[in-house]
Amino acid sequence: MTGAVRVLGRLRGQLGRVPRAGWLVFLVAFVNAAVWTAVIPPFQVPDETGHFAYAQYVAETGKPPPQGPAPQFSPQEYTALANLFFFDVIGHEQERGVITPAEQSSLQASLATGPSPVGPGGASSITNQPPLYYALAAIPYWLSPSNNILDRLEFMRLLSALLAALTVLATFLFVRELFPSLGWAPIVGGLVVAFQPQFDFISSGVQGDSLLFFASAATFLALIRAYRHGLTLRRGVWVGLATVIGLLGKLTFVAFVPGIVVCLALIVWRSGRRSCGGSAVASGAAVGSGPRAVTRPRAALGAGVAAGVAAVPVAVYGLLNATAWNRGGPTGGGFAGAATAALPGNKVITLRDSLDYTWELLFPKLPFMNHAYFGYSPVRQIFFDGAIGRFGWLDYGFPPRVYTLAQDAFAVLAVLAVIGLWRSRRELAAVWPMVLGFAVMAAGLVGAIGFAGIRYLMSTGLPFEQARYLFPLLAIYAVFIVLVSRAAPRRWAPALGAALVILAMAHGLFAELLTISRYYG
Amino acid sequence: MRVRVVIAGALAVVVAGLLITLSHRAPRDAGSDHIVPAMFAATLPSAGQVCQDNPYLPPGAATAQILVGTYGKPVPALQLRFLDPSGAVVSSGHLPAGAQPSGTISIPISPAAAPGDAVKVCLAVAGHAKIVIAGLGIPPDPTDEYVNGVEQAGRISLVYYRAGQESWWSLLGVLDQRFGLGKAGFFGDWTLPACFVLLLACWVLVVRLLIRGGAETG
Repeated sequence: MTGAVRVLGRLRGQLGRVPRAGWLVFLVAFVNAAVWTAVIPPFQVPDETGHFAYAQYVAETGKPPPQGPAPQFSPQEYTALANLFFFDVIGHEQERGVITPAEQSSLQASLATGPSPVGPGGASSITNQPPLYYALAAIPYWLSPSNNILDRLEFMRLLSALLAALTVLATFLFVRELFPSLGWAPIVGGLVVAFQPQFDFISSGVQGDSLLFFASAATFLALIRAYRHGLTLRRGVWVGLATVIGLLGKLTFVAFVPGIVVCLALIVWRSGRRSCGGSAVASGAAVGSGPRAVTRPRAALGAGVAAGVAAVPVAVYGLLNATAWNRGGPTGGGFAGAATAALPGNKVITLRDSLDYTWELLFPKLPFMNHAYFGYSPVRQIFFDGAIGRFGWLDYGFPPRVYTLAQDAFAVLAVLAVIGLWRSRRELAAVWPMVLGFAVMAAGLVGAIGFAGIRYLMSTGLPFEQARYLFPLLAIYAVFIVLVSRAAPRRWAPALGAALVILAMAHGLFAELLTISRYYG
Repeated sequence: MRVRVVIAGALAVVVAGLLITLSHRAPRDAGSDHIVPAMFAATLPSAGQVCQDNPYLPPGAATAQILVGTYGKPVPALQLRFLDPSGAVVSSGHLPAGAQPSGTISIPISPAAAPGDAVKVCLAVAGHAKIVIAGLGIPPDPTDEYVNGVEQAGRISLVYYRAGQESWWSLLGVLDQRFGLGKAGFFGDWTLPACFVLLLACWVLVVRLLIRGGAETG
């Protein structure tokens, strides 16, 4: 009991160190994401049907779905989907859901027949994921004062909105650590993420990605803090906690593990060669004394604690999967699904195939590569255009001229970011090992997308990639915007940052109007 | 000061864009029978008629849109009727022969005093031409269409539009009502205005944050 009180006291102390501006950015992010939860009709966020089904199964039975060859959803969810005209609306931009009082009455009458909320937990593309997000989503499911499925869904969506706000807060603090002398930088970095419409759109649904986004931003923050201020035991715990939230949140996070290991190794390597060496950045409240604040053995212990905090719950999860939950092995089929997707004609995907595919995700095909996997530019048409906005079940977006305009604008921003990078060289040089580690994390994520993408393409003939798969790097996007702002002369940098925030807000606002016209207009 | 000027300029541009967008006039959706025009689901011979249940005729519907194929010939005269359980006409519409080219056509329909009473819709070809109508070839079920009284596995697609062209401003009342439907039970007509107020509060807070953040540095 005393220990718990002490931990809570420390947590309160940590939270108390978050500046007021950080909490205000958090509040804005939560309210904005909460508004999105009301704007998007139920189940219109990609895969929300499957994520809700998983969470409902956990809430009703206390364990993850067994993943047998059975229906994916509960009878209650099937009833709701049918009476929301879900299957007619998705993929058909001209179709609306419930928009008349008569349709509303029909929906209410069908749900009032009391279809069971307990389904058989049949296999879906979601059920092989670890259960942390769904266990968390079970809390608002049960806290809902009504057992109406749509009421419960809205409360669960608010959890995602909260996670979005936490992602923004972690991003704010991450930028603050990188640019401690620029008071405006974390505000600008946090707010551009808070109003990124595709991020808000995904975070407005019952969607496991919202926990992945938070865990990713928290990991970037925990690592940069460990580098800035030294890898103490406590900071090791934070790194471990952020990592384990990601690992038990979504399998995609595994892609970050090599980068996290590189970061920790570099922190240990840079620590303790002399005591409390000065940071290259000499002013600002958040400036730390660098990794040398902690001796190398102590930093190694901190890294070990981080590994332990991350590994033990994952091991327990694996054990439960294989024993108590009977989910077909320690990973619950998660990795097997990605690695052994049934391929037509017993085709084998080689390492070279995977590497070629991953390269071509971002860059043009090189002459020695065997196969051109894309007849278009994925980096532009999937990742960039998707980040500008592909909403619903990828069934509506802005008029084409908006994407063209955005591409031109981004080209200008990229040039400005290079100038800002040059102007920020001192701050970034002070954390160069982390820049290297973060690059490995980003490469791991792209590699994971490529690994899964080629297998999906070969087994289904359909493209796998979506812009949101890169959103675990939202903290880096915030840094990009700060660098763009820094391209301006020093006194104008906050003004340019403010203009970029207004642009992001306008982007979000018009995305909401687009969504309202799609579903209600 | 710089931050204030930039924010004021940026906000002016956003407000101007918002006014232009919300003032755009276009035909606005009134609803549909929730059948996607994915394939030609009904073939009507000369003077044939297709009927089906659950037309979901919404309030305010002024035209019904269908996708028609005519094998290269002009669209024949079409008659659309929405019937209540007793067979009385709730709403009806007529399209003269050759009034529109084949493809997506709009049939003006009379205002319905009680659109919710419409339980059946019938579309009749008044001329001598075979046509096909788009919809879904759903598996046989009680909602199937009847062509000349014979049950067929399919349903035709009907999309309803409101009268004339409307701006988003003039549609606000309708949007407000629709926004609260098909969601959690505690949502209602108050939800859209509440979202607007919350977003406005966010914008005000962000502007204050940006001005204060800029002032600290600049």
